Amino acid sequence: MKIISQIFNIALRELDILRKNRIYGFCMVVFPVVLVLFFTTMLDDGLPQDLPIGVVDHDNSATSRGLIRNLDAMQNSRVVYRFSSVTEARNAMQEGKVYAYLYIPSGMSEKLISGRQPKISYYYTMTCLSAGSMASKDMKTIGMLGSMAVGRAVLSAKGATDRQIRAALQPVSIDAHMIANPYGSYNYSLTTVFVPGILMLFMALLSAYAIGMELKFDTGKEWLALADGNIFVAIIGKYLVHALVFLLVIFLYQYYIFNVLHFPHLGGVWSIVRLTLLQVAASLGFGIFAFGLMPSLRMSMSISSLWFVLGISMCGSAFPVMGMDAPLQAMSWLFPLRHYWMLYQATVLNGFPVIDVWFHLVALVAFTLLPWMVLRKVKNAILNYVYIP
Amino acid sequence: MSIFHKIREHITDVLYIWRQEMKQVIRDEGVLMFLVVVPLGYPLLYSWIYNNESVHEVPVVVVDQSHSALSRQFIRDCDATPDVEVKYYAEDLNEAQSLISRQIAKGIYLFPSDFATNIMRGEQGTVSVYCDMSLMLAYKAVYQTAVVESMRLGAGLNIKKAGNFSKREDAITAQPLAVDDVAMFNPSGGYGSCVLPAVLMLLLQQALALGIGMAAGTARERHRNGQLIPDDDPHYRGAYRIVWGKALCYGMIGAVAAAYLSMAVPRMFSFPQLADGWTLLLMLLPYTIASIFFGMTVSCLVRYRENVMLIMVFVSVPLLFLTGVSWPQSSIPGAWQGVSWLFPSTFGVRAFIRINSMGASFGQILPEIRILWIQAAAYLGMACLVYRHQFRLARKWSNRTE
Repeated sequence: MKIISQIFNIALRELDILRKNRIYGFCMVVFPVVLVLFFTTMLDDGLPQDLPIGVVDHDNSATSRGLIRNLDAMQNSRVVYRFSSVTEARNAMQEGKVYAYLYIPSGMSEKLISGRQPKISYYYTMTCLSAGSMASKDMKTIGMLGSMAVGRAVLSAKGATDRQIRAALQPVSIDAHMIANPYGSYNYSLTTVFVPGILMLFMALLSAYAIGMELKFDTGKEWLALADGNIFVAIIGKYLVHALVFLLVIFLYQYYIFNVLHFPHLGGVWSIVRLTLLQVAASLGFGIFAFGLMPSLRMSMSISSLWFVLGISMCGSAFPVMGMDAPLQAMSWLFPLRHYWMLYQATVLNGFPVIDVWFHLVALVAFTLLPWMVLRKVKNAILNYVYIP
Repeated sequence: MSIFHKIREHITDVLYIWRQEMKQVIRDEGVLMFLVVVPLGYPLLYSWIYNNESVHEVPVVVVDQSHSALSRQFIRDCDATPDVEVKYYAEDLNEAQSLISRQIAKGIYLFPSDFATNIMRGEQGTVSVYCDMSLMLAYKAVYQTAVVESMRLGAGLNIKKAGNFSKREDAITAQPLAVDDVAMFNPSGGYGSCVLPAVLMLLLQQALALGIGMAAGTARERHRNGQLIPDDDPHYRGAYRIVWGKALCYGMIGAVAAAYLSMAVPRMFSFPQLADGWTLLLMLLPYTIASIFFGMTVSCLVRYRENVMLIMVFVSVPLLFLTGVSWPQSSIPGAWQGVSWLFPSTFGVRAFIRINSMGASFGQILPEIRILWIQAAAYLGMACLVYRHQFRLARKWSNRTE
C-alpha cells in the first residue's frame, strides 16, 4: 500500500515537471501531431500520380499519337512536354522537369503495319525510385498495348471474339493478390513505420532526458527520497506518467489512421493494443538503459537518438534486412524498431498469429527489462554524480 | 579613432572569436560528436546498409495443383531469374500461407489444376500470385518476375502456334513492336544509389545545425546569466563580429565535411559520381553557407542545448521526404512544398542529385543555386538580427548585475 502511494506521489511530481518544461509538451503532443499530419497528407495519394513525362515523336502518325494519348491517360503519368529531339528531352530530365520520356522514331507505324518490327524506346530516371518505377510501368504497358494492337486488329478482322483474342494474345495471365494493401499504397507502408519509429525515438530520448535533467538540476535526491531510496519504485512512478501520455497519443494516432483513414489492419484491435503496449515499454526501457550505461544527459541522449535514427533504416521496411550484409542482419536484432515493425506487419497488417513471430515479441520484452541491469548504476549516478556542462 | 583603426580592430575581434569558437568546439565532446563523429561515421554506416543496392532471390513458395509440363516450365523460369528463388513447395494455399506467416517466404505462386488444360484448349491459363505487401521491394520482385515470365511463356506458345520459318519471324510474332527499356542515371535501380546522395547532403545540414546548436547551448550554460554571448570578454563587443567569427569557424568545419561527404564517401562505396569539380564547388558553397547561418539562427531559439537535438532529430526524416527523393517532387502537396522552401537541404539535395547522379551542368541547376544564395543571404540577415537581439539581452543582464 505504501509503495502505491509512493508511486502516486512521484507520478504527481512528474506531472508537474512535464507541465513546467515546455519541451515535454512539444515532444509528446505537438511534434507527434505534426508528424502524423505530415506523413498522412504527404502520402495521401497512395501512389505518385500524374508524374510529368515528355515525348519525342518523330513518327507523327495516328498510331504514335494514339500511344501518346494512352500514356497520358494512365493514372501515374501525364504528358507535359513534347520535345523535338532526344537531347532536348534528356536536358529536361537533368533539369528535373520530367521523370521519363518516350522516343518514337520516324517510320514506326509504317514498319509496324508491314511487320518489320519497329522499336520505340523509353528512358526514365531511377534517381527517384518511386517515380522511376511508376513511369516505367506505365510505359511498359504502352509498349505492350502497341504490340497487341496489331494482333488484335488482325484477329478481329478474322472474326474472333474478345475472349478468343485475349487468349490468343496473352495465353498466360497473372491474377495478382496484393494482400492487405490492394492499392500498393505507400501511405499504408511508409506512414506506419516512420510515425511509430520517430515516436519511439522521442520516447527513448525523453526517458533519458527525464533522468538526465534530475541530475543536471540536482533534483534527483529529492526524487529518490519520495521513494524512500527505492530506485525501482522511483523509476516506475516517474515513467508511469510518460507511458500513459504516450499511450494516449499513440492510441489517438491509431484511431486516426485505422478508423478515419481506414488503413488495413487484418489483425484487429487486440493485436494493435498489444503492440502499442510493447512499443511504449521497450522504448522507455531503452532510454533508461542508455542513461544507466552512460550516466550523462548529453551522452545518453546522443546514443538514443543516433541509435533510433539508425533504426529507421535498420528495421528493413524500405530496404529489406534480407538484402543487407550478414553482420548487419545480425545487428538488426539490436534495434527495437526492427522488432516493432516485424510484429506490426505480421500481426496487425496481415493478421497472422503472434506465435509465428514470438521471438520479436520476446525481444521487445527484453528491451523493456533492460533497465533492470542498470538500476544500481542509475541510483549511484543520482546520488553521487555532479553535472558537468 | 580613424576608420582604418576601427576596421583593424573589427578584424582582430573576428579572428579572435574564430579561434575561441574553434577551441570550444574541440573541447566540448557533445559538439565534437555532431560536428566530427557524425559526418565521419554515419555516412559510412548508411552506405554499408544500402551497399547491396537491391534484393535478389526473394524466397517464394509454389503451390502447383496443375502438375503439368507448362507449370513446371514456368516455375523453372522464375527460379532462374535473379530476383526470385522458388524455395518451397506447398500442397495447398493454407500451407503456403503459414510459410508467409512465419516470414520464411514473401510470395505465393499458385497454379490451379486447370492451368495447362486451359492453355491447351486455347483459353487463358491463370497463375495466381499472392504478395506479402509489407516489403515493397520484395513485392515488386515477386510480382514483376511473374509478369515477365508469363509474357515469355505466352510468347513461346504463340511462336509454336505460328509455324514460322525463320528466327526473325519468331521475334516479330513474339513482339511486333520492339521496346527498348532504358533506366538512366541509376540503371540497376539500386536503393543506395538513389537515397544515399540525398542522405549525405541532408547530413551536412543536420550535423552543422546540431553542432552549432549544441555549442550555443554550452555557451549559455557556461554563462552566469544563461546568456549566449559572454560579457566578460572584451572581444565580443558587437553582434556582427560574433556572427562573422562563428561563421568562419563553422565554415572551416563545414568545408571539410562537405568535401568528405560529396567526394570521399561516394567514391569509397562506388555510388554514382558524375559531378564536375567546379560545378560541385559552386553548388556546395552556397549550400554550406546557407546551412551554417540556418544553424546559427536555430541555435538562438534554444535555451538548453539538449533541445536542439530534439528539434533537429525530429525534422530529419520529414526533411528527407521534402527533398523529393523518396516521394516524387511533383506529388508533394503544395503546402508542404511551401514549407520545404524554408530549409537549405531541399535545394541542396536536389542540386546535388542532379549534378552528382545525373551529370547536370551548372546551367541546369541554376534555379536551385539562386534559391540557395537567397537562403544564405536571408539566414545571414536572420542570424545577424537574432544575434543583435542576444547581444542586447546580454548587455542588459550585465548592466543589471553591475
